[in-house]
Amino acid sequence: MRSMTLLTVLILVGAGTASGQRTAQEIIDHVDRIMRGESSRGVATMDVVTENWERSMTMEVWSLGTEYSLIRITAPKKEEGTATLMADDEIWNYLPRVDRTIKIPASMMMGAWMGSHFTNDDLVKESRLIEDYDIEVSHDGDREGVRVWELTLTPKEEAAVVWGRIEYQVRQNDWMPTWARYYDEDGALVRTMSFSDYRQMGGRLVPAVMELIPEDKPEERTLVRYTELEFDIDIDENFFSLRALRSGGR
Amino acid sequence: MRAGPWWRIGWRNLGRNRRRTLITMGGLAFGYLAVVLLVAWMEGLTAEMIDSATRTLSGQLQVHDMEYRPERKIYDTIGDRDGTDVDALVSEVAADPLVVAAAPRVYAGGLVSSGQATTAGLLMGIDPEREQQVSNILNAVIEGRPPQAGSNDIVIGIEMARQLAVGIGGEVILVVPAADGSMGNDLYTVVGIFSSGLAELDASYAMMPMESLQFLTALAPDRVHEIAASVDDAWLAPQAAERIAARLALDELGIEVEPWTRLRPEMLDYAQLAQAWNGVIIFIVFAIAIFGVANTMLMATYERRREIAVMLALGTTPFAVVRSVLAEALCLGAISIGIGAALTLPLMLWFYNAPPDLSWLYGDFTMLGALIRPVLRVEWNPGMWFWSGVALLITTLVAALYPAARAARIPPADTLSGL
Repeated sequence: MRSMTLLTVLILVGAGTASGQRTAQEIIDHVDRIMRGESSRGVATMDVVTENWERSMTMEVWSLGTEYSLIRITAPKKEEGTATLMADDEIWNYLPRVDRTIKIPASMMMGAWMGSHFTNDDLVKESRLIEDYDIEVSHDGDREGVRVWELTLTPKEEAAVVWGRIEYQVRQNDWMPTWARYYDEDGALVRTMSFSDYRQMGGRLVPAVMELIPEDKPEERTLVRYTELEFDIDIDENFFSLRALRSGGR
Repeated sequence: MRAGPWWRIGWRNLGRNRRRTLITMGGLAFGYLAVVLLVAWMEGLTAEMIDSATRTLSGQLQVHDMEYRPERKIYDTIGDRDGTDVDALVSEVAADPLVVAAAPRVYAGGLVSSGQATTAGLLMGIDPEREQQVSNILNAVIEGRPPQAGSNDIVIGIEMARQLAVGIGGEVILVVPAADGSMGNDLYTVVGIFSSGLAELDASYAMMPMESLQFLTALAPDRVHEIAASVDDAWLAPQAAERIAARLALDELGIEVEPWTRLRPEMLDYAQLAQAWNGVIIFIVFAIAIFGVANTMLMATYERRREIAVMLALGTTPFAVVRSVLAEALCLGAISIGIGAALTLPLMLWFYNAPPDLSWLYGDFTMLGALIRPVLRVEWNPGMWFWSGVALLITTLVAALYPAARAARIPPADTLSGL
């Protein structure tokens, strides 16, 4: 259903505006889908460095379309089994220690996810870029000898988003993102995400490493590295249910 | 009565027109009553606000790590990462002669969840025994009981209980970002529900044994965020804070000792504003008194102008006339204050010992985040009563100066010849 609507929007937008706009949409749509496919499963490590502590977590990640994803922590021991389910804009956490699930309230969507620099909001909103933002190519040419597009995403009027503007840089030769910069409503840079270590995983070229650095604390960072990634696996919506979340997803 | 002739003349003149004298005295007495009562009420309101603000939860003074306020990060415990000997520090603070009791506290922000409902909560780890001597929050438990040390008991506000649809014996899940970056989570049993009357407190605060919250947030037992202390007279808190600060080697520990006047400067501002208002009230009442007395004395001296003319014609000095008029005013003032005090004291005693409760008229209300009970509470301030009396006496004297001067300048011949 969603992809149908999306397609309609794309066609309408494409017909109505210059082809540059259409290209911009396509680029971001492509970036959006790189790590996802129709469905996906991956294993990633997340290293979080803050001024107060450093820690590393390993997790398993599943996704289905743009609506569903599930993250289950596999290490360290203290948090093994902790899981986060994203379904229909809602986030649920499963806490194995107390064997309970809790829903993250709307007021906590900007809270940190698992102590990282990602917010809960990031987990549900990142997949909606082409729906929530007007996108245009702000630069088409060389940057340090590499042909890139730079795209500026400004939120649509009715979109409930937290950023004032997002900028993406995407390489033209392989449509790989190199960085994304997030600005607040006053136009100040809040954080930068950089992509690196492009490699073939699950039959696709993907950036295996994503690093998020908050602008106000440049010595802090969250680094996510995918060690396994496979696409179009055999899972359905039942996999992303609360019952499955509780029972361990197997 | 053994007094000079001018006093006797002044005193007797009061009896010339008794009704007028009594009315004037009544006015002055009522003025005195009004000043004392209004100021006492204003002070009562301020005291009620400060009491409520400091006794409900915060205490009259607090000890923190220097970095702790205003961000209140979980890492900034007293003594920083190394922590401190909490018991020793608490005893040290409690040892100050003005301090009644001191209690350690640990804070954390997290999610409180029950069934489908989840809300953000401010979690407060307390020492239940010592906390009861510092703040009233555990006395505000209207259902159930305070948390017990060494348990997973939790006491939540009445509004949070409503939002979470949980009652006594119910189970809540706490999820808290811990100091080591992990997500602390555990099950707690609701053993008490408090109602402080302050919406913010009732909706977001939750109290549990300190060790339990320290464990949840991966803080060592020697790491606390705050030591709160109670001081009986809130106005002495700055003095106590200064003395404690002087005794503890602050720089070495990197801590600060702050009385409520610095933690809640807006409250101090309000108290000072209220004091300024008292000045305005006093000024207005006394200004009215001045005109009242001046009018009476002008009338009295005008009626007596022939008599004064005779006195002057017989060789009385104008200064003696002034003295007699001033003596009259002074007697008037003194008796008025006597009547005023006789009316005011019983009223003050009554208001002080059994402040009239207006809760049938108004509900509780909040001011600057402090809960005010609708009672006509007064402050016991004998110094203020004394000085009000003195001020009123001076006022009557000042008011009599002009009539006295006029009386002294009555031309004897013209007046006596009927001009």
